[in-house]
Amino acid sequence: MRLFLNIIKLDYLTRVRSYSFLITLCASLAISYTFVPEPNASYSTIRIGDHVGYYNSAWFGYVTATMTSIFLSLIGFYLINTSIKKDIKTKVGQIIASTRIYNTTYLLSKVFSNFLILTTIVSITFLMSIILFTLYNDGFRFELFQFIKPYLIITIPSMFFLSAIAVIFEVILGRYSVIQNILFFIMFSFSLAVSPQSEMRYALDVFGSKIVLDTMEQSVREVLPLEEDSEMTIGYVLGNTTKAKKFSFEGIDFPSYFLVSRLTWMFIGILLVGLVSPFFHRFNMRDILPSEKTVKQILPKAELKDINLTQLPKLQKSTNILPLVRTEVFLLLRKGNKWLWGLNAIGMILLAVLNIEFAHKFVLPILWFLQVNRLSDLTTKEVENDVHYFSFTSLRPISRLLLSQLFAGLLLVLFLALPLTLRYIFLMKFNVVMFIIVGGVFVLFLAAFLGIFTKQKKLFEALFFFITYVNLNQIPFFDYFGGVSQNIDHIFYVFTVIVMMAIAGFYKRYYDLRR
Amino acid sequence: MKLEIKNVSKRYGRKKYGVKDFSLTIEKGILGLLGPNGAGKSTLMKMIATVNKPSEGIILLNKNNIVKDVNYIRQQMGFLPQDFGVYPNLNAFEFLEYMAAVKGVGGVGLKQRIEKLLDGLNLLDVASKPIGKYSGGMKQRIGIAQTLLNDPRIIIFDEPTVGLDPEERVRFRNLISDLATQSIVILSSHIVSDVDIIADEVAIMKKGSLITKGKTQNIIEQVKGKIFETQFDTDVSPRFSDHIKILSTTRYQGKTTVRYVSEVPIEKSTPQKPTLEDAYLYLTHN
Ligand SMILES: Nc1ncnc2c1ncn2[C@@H]1O[C@H](COP(=O)(O)OP(=O)(O)OP(=O)(O)O)[C@@H](O)[C@H]1O
Ligand SMILES: [Mg+2]
Repeated sequence: MRLFLNIIKLDYLTRVRSYSFLITLCASLAISYTFVPEPNASYSTIRIGDHVGYYNSAWFGYVTATMTSIFLSLIGFYLINTSIKKDIKTKVGQIIASTRIYNTTYLLSKVFSNFLILTTIVSITFLMSIILFTLYNDGFRFELFQFIKPYLIITIPSMFFLSAIAVIFEVILGRYSVIQNILFFIMFSFSLAVSPQSEMRYALDVFGSKIVLDTMEQSVREVLPLEEDSEMTIGYVLGNTTKAKKFSFEGIDFPSYFLVSRLTWMFIGILLVGLVSPFFHRFNMRDILPSEKTVKQILPKAELKDINLTQLPKLQKSTNILPLVRTEVFLLLRKGNKWLWGLNAIGMILLAVLNIEFAHKFVLPILWFLQVNRLSDLTTKEVENDVHYFSFTSLRPISRLLLSQLFAGLLLVLFLALPLTLRYIFLMKFNVVMFIIVGGVFVLFLAAFLGIFTKQKKLFEALFFFITYVNLNQIPFFDYFGGVSQNIDHIFYVFTVIVMMAIAGFYKRYYDLRR
Repeated sequence: MKLEIKNVSKRYGRKKYGVKDFSLTIEKGILGLLGPNGAGKSTLMKMIATVNKPSEGIILLNKNNIVKDVNYIRQQMGFLPQDFGVYPNLNAFEFLEYMAAVKGVGGVGLKQRIEKLLDGLNLLDVASKPIGKYSGGMKQRIGIAQTLLNDPRIIIFDEPTVGLDPEERVRFRNLISDLATQSIVILSSHIVSDVDIIADEVAIMKKGSLITKGKTQNIIEQVKGKIFETQFDTDVSPRFSDHIKILSTTRYQGKTTVRYVSEVPIEKSTPQKPTLEDAYLYLTHN
């Protein structure tokens, strides 16, 4: 037990001490700030028809707890789904494998350290909810319990379940990070969308959000019976808050079966980890490079050939960046599994043949999202592969190396979008063509920018996932590629963001290199 | 060619120095850098290679301040870091082509030069396989090949012989002596014998500072006439007085041989011919 706790502690500390975690916390702080809109804000998060709650303790507590439960599940998965992979990379895994520790113990320790990471983030949003309450104070009494209760019952169990799911995914699909991503996305959307009309529907809801929304709806109905338009929304909805009416929400008396169900979810998580633990590779990997067959190498011992340096052909100075671009393209193309290119090919065909609007709105963002693992290490792979000694002391690392990375990435992104772009060109819709190009540039600069700042690929992966999700739900705020709205102002808005990211990114890289 | 390191320090924490007030002048030839783990060898080399900036002090190459003007040295330098990596998905050819572009050299001779380098380092047969599948020693040789792409005038090898088998070590030594006829070569190692054979000069550092620097002979000179060996049965454990510095003990067939440094020998000792290793151990253990 001591050992178990120690592993968790060390694992947690090493992860928390990283600079990137600090950035993650700042990002969570910023995001949780938006969970309860400022009274005059032009968006809403949780809304029952035309109604939002009075800004009392219960409203702040339940809204932020529910939003955290859902959105941290979505993004958090990306923050924690490489905990085993990290042990592979640092070779700590091989040491662990040689100790007597049980698979189950090791995996559970990962679950718990994942859970601690998420809980740390949750506590940030929790604090933020209290800060927001005092900030927007409408004269309601501060009741601490109304904050603690929803977090404890709604958020914490879903975080625990998520921590277990992330470990399970890594055990079963360790090598196929793309399948992990897709599968999680499907599971996530499915469990949000589906609600069986049975007694057990609240118990079956992992995120625990349905009981909250339904109770809120009932509170509304009590004030205004027969509300016809009582559509509930959760997420970010723009521009419909002006006519919102207020209702009073006083928290929920959770039925006991619901409380039991929350514990059951946590228990199921542990159980599943136990079930998959026999399939854990225990760092006994056949081959680190998945894409190629292993070739046995027997070196014929040749007679000693010495290098005669003076006889080597002389080279000239050359600032040509084409060789760099070419290598970057190789690196992008060879990353990940070959069959992914099958998916990409299918995606491109769909872009060519499907209804053009559908292709633009849904196929394009998904196709681009499939490249997430290729793009996420665009500017971090030097450090990740310890090649930075060479690249950061190279001739003009920014204007040559960084630029060729961006250029290679752009080639990839635009190549994938080509079928759609060509269709729009034939239709003479040049503003849409422009939007797609700007969109590609945006994805690329986002990857580069976040990589340079966080020196890690996680934040980009999480954010890109989030943005894609939001776009598939047709919410215009994060529409970077003209899927929802194609007016020219919007292009400028995206363009401005790109320019800002570019300036900040280049400057930061420049600053880092000087040190 | 002249490299001057003047009062260079690298501070990692408030009081934690990787290298402290270090001064050294190096001219053409091979300088072997010796020192125990954590002595600051890598830190020093990274500063010369412009990977890191010194916290204090300057480094001049032919009177050019390379702390400010990094490109001056980068153009004519080859650097083999201690813990470098490669892109595992590239093969040796592609990686070296990439490195050439990174260093800003190219031209019609590039393909041929890479081929010859790979041939000379015994890697031609595996050159089209992804580097991720190479053994440790093969990867190390790719690193060596990379340093030679641009006809370097100053070459910095941090622990170059790690992972090389004896045969490759010999080839590497030949290569280095060849290089040294026209360039500055700085190489670090823990293996005293590696340095002993090839280095023209040796610098020994400890805890971030330079202890001594000079021709191998002159360094050995410091312990000349002070090295002795004595033997006794393994089951007796004699006490040695404080003026004796033990360098090594070896057990063989019930006898223990103790090699030590002292101004005056103890009883039943035989004088020994001093080696660089003796001098190194003596100087760093103080
Ligand atoms: N990035 C760093 N941050 C903090 N301390 C560092 C860093 N790099 C090195 N050090 C410290 O500086 C000192 C010198 O380290 P360095 O790597 O230069 O030693 P070395 O002589 O190369 O050792 P080795 O023989 O093990 O390679 C050590 O005490 C080390 O702990
Ligand atoms: Mg070192």
